[in-house]
Amino acid sequence: MKKPLLSKNAKRTLVAYSFIAPNFIGFCVFTLVPIVFAFALAFLRWDGSNPIEFAGFSNFAKLANDTFFKAALRNTIIYCLGTVPLTMVASLALAVLLNQKVFGRGVFRTLSFFPYVASLVAVTSVWKMLFHPTKGPINTILHNTFNVAAEDLPKWFTGSLVLLSMILFSVWKYMGYYMVIYLAGLQGIPSELYEAAALDGAGTWNKFRYVTWPQLGATTFFVVVMLTINCFKIYDIAIMLAGGGSGELTESSTVLVFYIYQKAFINWDLGYSSAVAMVLFILVLGVTIIQFYGQSKKDKA
Amino acid sequence: MKKRIIAVLMCALMVVSLAAGCGKKGGAGSNGNVTLKWAIWDESSTQYWGDIKKAYEAAHKGVTIEMVDLGSTDYMTVLATELSGSGSEFDVVTIKDVPGYATLVQKNAIVALDDYIKKDKVDLKKFAGATDQVVVNGKLYELPFRNDFWVIFYNKDIFDRAGVAYPTNDMTWDQYDALARKVTDTTFGKQVYGTHYHTWRSTVQLCAMLDGKHTILDGNYDFVKPIYKMVLNQEKDGVCRKYADLKTEGLHYSAAFSGGDVAMMNQGSWFISTLITNIKKGDYDAKLCGNWGLCKYPHAEGVEAGSTLGTITGLSITSASKNKDAAWDFVNWVSGAEGAAVMASSGNFPACMTADVKKAITSMEGFPQDQQSKDALDVSNLYLEVPYGDHVSEINSVLDSYHGSIMTGELSIDEGVKKMNDEVAKILGK
Repeated sequence: MKKPLLSKNAKRTLVAYSFIAPNFIGFCVFTLVPIVFAFALAFLRWDGSNPIEFAGFSNFAKLANDTFFKAALRNTIIYCLGTVPLTMVASLALAVLLNQKVFGRGVFRTLSFFPYVASLVAVTSVWKMLFHPTKGPINTILHNTFNVAAEDLPKWFTGSLVLLSMILFSVWKYMGYYMVIYLAGLQGIPSELYEAAALDGAGTWNKFRYVTWPQLGATTFFVVVMLTINCFKIYDIAIMLAGGGSGELTESSTVLVFYIYQKAFINWDLGYSSAVAMVLFILVLGVTIIQFYGQSKKDKA
Repeated sequence: MKKRIIAVLMCALMVVSLAAGCGKKGGAGSNGNVTLKWAIWDESSTQYWGDIKKAYEAAHKGVTIEMVDLGSTDYMTVLATELSGSGSEFDVVTIKDVPGYATLVQKNAIVALDDYIKKDKVDLKKFAGATDQVVVNGKLYELPFRNDFWVIFYNKDIFDRAGVAYPTNDMTWDQYDALARKVTDTTFGKQVYGTHYHTWRSTVQLCAMLDGKHTILDGNYDFVKPIYKMVLNQEKDGVCRKYADLKTEGLHYSAAFSGGDVAMMNQGSWFISTLITNIKKGDYDAKLCGNWGLCKYPHAEGVEAGSTLGTITGLSITSASKNKDAAWDFVNWVSGAEGAAVMASSGNFPACMTADVKKAITSMEGFPQDQQSKDALDVSNLYLEVPYGDHVSEINSVLDSYHGSIMTGELSIDEGVKKMNDEVAKILGK
């Protein structure tokens, strides 16, 4: 009897691999290889055409003296520190509220999800109209009702206020999405727990404190990690709210992802840009590891 | 285990070879026919690309020009990406701005044209000095075919209504400022703005470069302070719209001028054909802006009138091109007298300006017929908005950013200019 070319087992594996292959090859070519290459680039000097030179740590040394990098880093961190807790609290509060049996909660749920569905470009235009420095309704109210002098009216998209505008916008736009995730988490809490807590004499606050919050641990972890990663990736909101004009983003509104783009594709300093990207990577990784560690400790307890 | 690896490799090989199958083909044709691939932007809304292609192909049998539209928004970025590494298929590329040109030169993506220029005895004098400002280490990598320069557009009706004499071809910046204030009306509901500055840095900061002593590559920007002071004071007094408002609204300069409440606006000569076409089509209300005129840029005290800023649009040959000689013939033709005639026929300013070309433009239907507007097109000194320099792209980014900071009031003029000085010094010092 002739021995088959492949054993039965090998054949099965081969079929399995061939099914994964199209996706995996795409992933390798378009994601994995570029990521590994970006790590290497951070230690090189390259403009995309001329021969690559080895740069050692000089790209990283330059970061310390780069005004725009420092501004971008500072702005991104402030934005995250503002956005992550605010969005979390707002979406959790919304979820708890809309988990009650209130009249028309379906409508309210849909309404709070609406900003997330609406196109970013469209809603930023509306925000820019509302917050227009001289003609917007918000500044008009400040001027007419609260008697703020015309010179003192806040310019919402410049200077120190621009980050605040970005944070508020982001909370408003994304809280609906995280509310849905929290709602799913809330549905998963068995009602027996609340009944038991009620028997023990727990009020609304204690029920939340000792039943809802601990039970939502895994959901909160997911929400915080996703929020943090998304916040560090901020680019579109900054460009849409603070961009335009000749400078695109000034020192007060520039963010890391924009700076990475600018250094890589406007100034063609790919090595340096990768070094900035590394900083972003380490930041996100660090925050995630800390949260992961905290979560697993809590799980054990 | 080995077999598995082999199997995976086979699969990978199959996919790769499939992908390669749809890779490049073509190039130079066999029977002497040449196809030149040319990078451009906005084919549908810009008439002259097609005109040039048609005219060149009619004059050169056997040559086909294939246009590839890369879009105007980030044309130079997309082009630089296309020409990175090897394997570009472009023969001729259009150069939109000098920072992008600098990038391509540094990337060795385009070739120096000096040997061709010498061989065909091209006289660079016809470009009125523009080419001198884009020379890199003694070599020239592009020939301009389009040259736009800055003028003042003004609305005659507003001046007539206010009973104020029109701006002239010989004004200092102080006279210009005084004139703008004279026609300004800040009454709510019927505002008239004496002047208007679009949100580009060029509309404000670069006006300070017209004394012929300074360029944006200097590294010390103290000389721009007076012009910022003038514009910010005008903003404060309601003479022009506020930068922060314009940025938030995204108001386009053409909408501002055609709205009929702007008396004077500094803008590039490209706006001439836009105005003429849109007034003719009825897209702009002729009652609001139909009666317009042109005058030369104001000048610094003690400098002769007629100096202005300009930008050139040029053509370069890629290093990867297999048809460099044919490409050179195209570049030389388009930037020369024949190309100039094609450009002028649609109201655009060719880089090689002759008396005929000027006459063709000023006699277009819709061009203001007073002598002063015609004379406004005579440029004595053309300073490129951005001349070539080693770190021009980085310097541009820094200046743009602090221009925004000064204009929105984030930084005072002194603080902003100090930042420009400090940050550019860092770039130049490395």
